[in-house]
Amino acid sequence: MLEVKQASKIYEGKVAHRALSDINLSLDKGEFVGIMGPSGSGKTTLLNMIATIDAPTTGNVFIDGKNPHHLKKNELAKFRRRELGFVFQDFNLMHTLTVEENMVLPLTLDGKKVREMKDKATVMAEKLGISSIMNSRTHEISGGQAQRAAVARAMIHSPKLLLADEPTGNLDSASSKAVMELLESLNRVDETTMMLVTHDPQAASYCQRVVFIQDGKFYSEINRGDNRQTFFQRIIDTLSLMGGDGHDFSSIRG
Amino acid sequence: MTFRQFAVNNVLRNIRLYAAYFLSSTFTVMVFFTFSVFMFHPALNGTDMNQNVAKGMMTAAIIIYVFSFFFVLYSMGSFLQSRKKEFGLLMMQGMSTGQIRTMVFLENMFIGFFATLGGITVGLVFTKFILLIAENILIISTALNFYIPWKAMMLTFGSFIVLFFIISISVSIVLRSKKLIHLIQGNKRSKGDPKTSRLLTVIAAVLLAGGYVTALVTRQMQVVIAMVPVVTIVVIGTYLLFTQLSVYVIRKLKNRKTLFWRKTNMILFSDLSFRMKDNARTFFLVAIISTVAFCSIGALYGFQSVLTSMAQGNQSLPFSYTAYEDNEDEREDIETISQTLSEHDLNATQEEISLRYYDVLDSEDTSMVISQSDYNRFAAITGEDSISVGDNGVIISHFEANINLGDQKEKELKELVTIDSEVSVHPEQNITSRALPEVDPYFIVSDEQFERLSEPEVAETYYGWQTKDDKQAKIEAGKELWEEVGPSLIAATDYEMFQLNKGYGPVLFVGLFIGIVFFVAAGSFLYFRLYSDLDDDKEKFQAIAKLGLSEKELKKVLTRQVAILFFTPMAVALLHGAVALTALSHLFMYNLFIEAVTVLGIFFVIQVIYFFIVRFFYIKQIKSGI
Repeated sequence: MLEVKQASKIYEGKVAHRALSDINLSLDKGEFVGIMGPSGSGKTTLLNMIATIDAPTTGNVFIDGKNPHHLKKNELAKFRRRELGFVFQDFNLMHTLTVEENMVLPLTLDGKKVREMKDKATVMAEKLGISSIMNSRTHEISGGQAQRAAVARAMIHSPKLLLADEPTGNLDSASSKAVMELLESLNRVDETTMMLVTHDPQAASYCQRVVFIQDGKFYSEINRGDNRQTFFQRIIDTLSLMGGDGHDFSSIRG
Repeated sequence: MTFRQFAVNNVLRNIRLYAAYFLSSTFTVMVFFTFSVFMFHPALNGTDMNQNVAKGMMTAAIIIYVFSFFFVLYSMGSFLQSRKKEFGLLMMQGMSTGQIRTMVFLENMFIGFFATLGGITVGLVFTKFILLIAENILIISTALNFYIPWKAMMLTFGSFIVLFFIISISVSIVLRSKKLIHLIQGNKRSKGDPKTSRLLTVIAAVLLAGGYVTALVTRQMQVVIAMVPVVTIVVIGTYLLFTQLSVYVIRKLKNRKTLFWRKTNMILFSDLSFRMKDNARTFFLVAIISTVAFCSIGALYGFQSVLTSMAQGNQSLPFSYTAYEDNEDEREDIETISQTLSEHDLNATQEEISLRYYDVLDSEDTSMVISQSDYNRFAAITGEDSISVGDNGVIISHFEANINLGDQKEKELKELVTIDSEVSVHPEQNITSRALPEVDPYFIVSDEQFERLSEPEVAETYYGWQTKDDKQAKIEAGKELWEEVGPSLIAATDYEMFQLNKGYGPVLFVGLFIGIVFFVAAGSFLYFRLYSDLDDDKEKFQAIAKLGLSEKELKKVLTRQVAILFFTPMAVALLHGAVALTALSHLFMYNLFIEAVTVLGIFFVIQVIYFFIVRFFYIKQIKSGI
């Protein structure tokens, strides 16, 4: 489903900085994968490359066998609004729109019928428990609600791949748990492929597999198995092994 | 929610962001509309207005329109600049470049449409006011009544819808879709320093110095020839001044740690260097546009002064009549004048003098010689001091004028002046006086000496009337006399001035109008510059406030920041304006110092007031963010 091959990213500047080197990663359809690593390890760069926000310097990214970086501008726009969904740390909802309008935005851009959008939005809101705030503006709702609205926006067009960048980074523990459970259930029920970049071992423990990167290079990966609790423990262990002193994982991404 | 609804909602629910752009568009429309109301006014389209004035108005309207175009284009550019992040987000949601263009186009037409309607509405409200001002400046016989300016409304509506359409189309086509990652990071990236080179810095200095020196040393008609090249090199020089020199200065300042790291300097300078590229461009635009405003208004005001004193010329009496030697109608004319003046209830005091010209022996031309008592009679009615000349003395009188009416023959206080073979006198005094209409210096001798003079080379009789100060009556009497006696013999100062102002009024009005438009536009460029960075500044000062920044320090930093933005281009514009007006005074050979100081001073005061208003609101805005 998703294939990252030998991807490298070098930021040119006064001092060239190698953010990623020769990363290989592949996700099967319906998989839920977490990417973890200390600050500056290149997690977000990797995500941005998959999200077509940024292009790799060398190497390729294939989504469903297609390389989105080779698409023409308009094709790329269509690709983004049909095949991809994004969830960000700071929600990035349009503050000029209501929750419902934010949700249907990808469909609006695709020129879908109002009737169809309305139906999908209603179903999605029901599923995510945000029916009551559909007509609220984004500044009137809580962080947890905003993130759920953002998830709804990312999912409304049934994307092939959902990309989440620190979705729990700005949320309290209860909201974090709710959002992660939501993502997990969407993954299970709709079989949407998901990729999550996070600092939070708790959030990562909802994934089926966690890939660790450090200094732009692949470090290791672990699978969840049956028990989320032990998975959580193993994530913590790996992180402390990686960081050496074990402080890194508790810091907040800046 | 369809795409169109989305675009409309995006505007309606985010009015604050669009407000500045909307208001400046509305203002532009309003300016054009009020001008066209004036242009199409029925009272100004009769026989009163000559063809040239109508043409001039049309040209001015076109200038305003072209300027509006660039002004709206610029406002829109800075408006779109502030929305980068929004575009980035939308692109991530899968908005295609085509859709962004469509959205920008729809938004713009939406804003443009309402700005056009708004501008016309506000313009209608102000029309009466503008017409009142115009009435006073223009000296029109009929009052400028308020009318429903259908023609102006149609013209404004039509031309601005077209303008917004063209701008919307062209902007949405050239809208550069940058890399998504840059859009999402928004304004956090510095646009980089403008490239600097030592050579260009030197060229900037050379161009400016060359332009200034050329402007200052040229005289009379040379000024006209030098104008285009000088303007060109000064414009280029100004651009280089801001893009090269300002960068150089700030770099030097930043390198001096003792200065850069002193208290709040660091915040101020780092900010200046971060926004150098934007600032340099704004400074350049504002400086040039302000210069245009200063020069157009200064030049017109100066030109009016020149014309006024030319019309007034050497006449210091409201009515005068010069009878040359072979004039046969002299008696009859004098009778007509006296009668006309009394008909208009102007109790005139009439004086008469025979002006005699002699070949003063050591001079090439003839010079006027008059007696002390003749002089004193005219001194009395013109309000000059009376004089007394000694038995063998002479007083040399120079005409007191602020316009140079020709080569003044400097007559020094020499040992002895020989008027003719009979009379030689000792000069006693040099005076300036407006008692008699003689431009060249003349000699005043005692009555006894005057009697002894032989026959003059030339003699003419000069009649002067001093009347009471009733301007309207003087103008009407003057008009009658011009028709009856003929303008070659009679001088009716007030009527001539009236004629002049009537012809010149529209030019002055148009000039003032354009000047003010440019000046206000310069002000709003500054406003845009400041407010496009407002959100960044809020964020920045929020962070700094957390580190501990007192309110006083915050005010100090912001005041300096705004002051640099407001007064750097202003200083350059004032200097340009001063040089230009000096060149103008060389062209007319007329001292325009007072006019230049008045015009530049008024602009400076307005700018200072504007600075305080903007500073007040800017500080308030930033403080609300902390």
